[in-house]
Amino acid sequence: MGSDTHRADERRFLDERGSSAALAPNGLNPATIMEKAVRERIVESYFWKEQCFGVNEADIVDRVVDHVSFVGGTHGANQKPSPFLCLAFKLLQLAPDDAVLDEYLRYGGDKFKYLRALACFYVRLTRRAETVYKILEPFLEDRRKLRRKGRAGTSLTYVDQFVDDLLTKDRVCATSLWQMPKREILEDLELLEPRTSPLGDIEDLLEEDEDVDMNGDT
Amino acid sequence: KHWDDVVDEEEDVDTEDDVDPEAEYAAWKLRELKRIKREREAIEAREKERAEVERRRNLTEEERK
Amino acid sequence: MQHLRNIGETGEVKKASAEEVHQRITEVWERLQEQKKASTTTLKERLQLREE
Repeated sequence: MGSDTHRADERRFLDERGSSAALAPNGLNPATIMEKAVRERIVESYFWKEQCFGVNEADIVDRVVDHVSFVGGTHGANQKPSPFLCLAFKLLQLAPDDAVLDEYLRYGGDKFKYLRALACFYVRLTRRAETVYKILEPFLEDRRKLRRKGRAGTSLTYVDQFVDDLLTKDRVCATSLWQMPKREILEDLELLEPRTSPLGDIEDLLEEDEDVDMNGDT
Repeated sequence: KHWDDVVDEEEDVDTEDDVDPEAEYAAWKLRELKRIKREREAIEAREKERAEVERRRNLTEEERK
Repeated sequence: MQHLRNIGETGEVKKASAEEVHQRITEVWERLQEQKKASTTTLKERLQLREE
């Protein structure tokens, strides 16, 4: 494959499994980050065939804006993959560099919330732990609403909550997230500065909000 | 088009932003505070655990029985 | 469709640079603003018609 082109389809990407495929920055093989059953559903899906063939990094923007109206993995009795998941898989194939990701996350992300959500998901899957924290945490401030479609049906979530899920949960959008070291370990290694919340000094805030009900059982 | 699932209107959620910016900010602030509290509690729990391990290590054989 | 034109005989598609991605974001954003403007105008017109 020439360095200035991508294969229009996914065949070679999937063939290269375990062989010469370039590894993601976190050392994982992008072709096997999603589970096999999910990959199969994606490449068999109508959305993949119709909307993800011959797509490059710029076309991703159109696809997200035109077709992504919720975050989610697979849904329904036949476990149909969401456009969100299909486009995440396309990103795994395209392997956009940090400059492109930055466009998705910031300039594009300010305008299109689902583009930011998609790029955050991709960053979580492919980047090293300290990079994931550094890139994702600022978006804990993004309170825009997102529609989520899961096994329990349709629900409301927020960009900040989706990002928090990516940082703390094991599984998001039908994909097992690789286990990252805890933040404090990276702080001990001086790879990360302690996080400061946009809310400011935490001690003051906690005193002020002592009555925040954590679990409904306090 | 058939790949764009029509979300069932009955169970759909309203995702329009900036309808009530103040309420949206307040709701976000609550989520952020819960996250901060959760992290602090996790750190405290780990510290407690570490202190407990340390305490046990310092016990004599006799005390441990 | 533009992306289909990009695919040559080889079954390959040209990579987009960060600048091209930036430009595409601007284009898509402007297209949406145009659409929004158009749809609010037609809505206004319809409301006006109804009032008459």
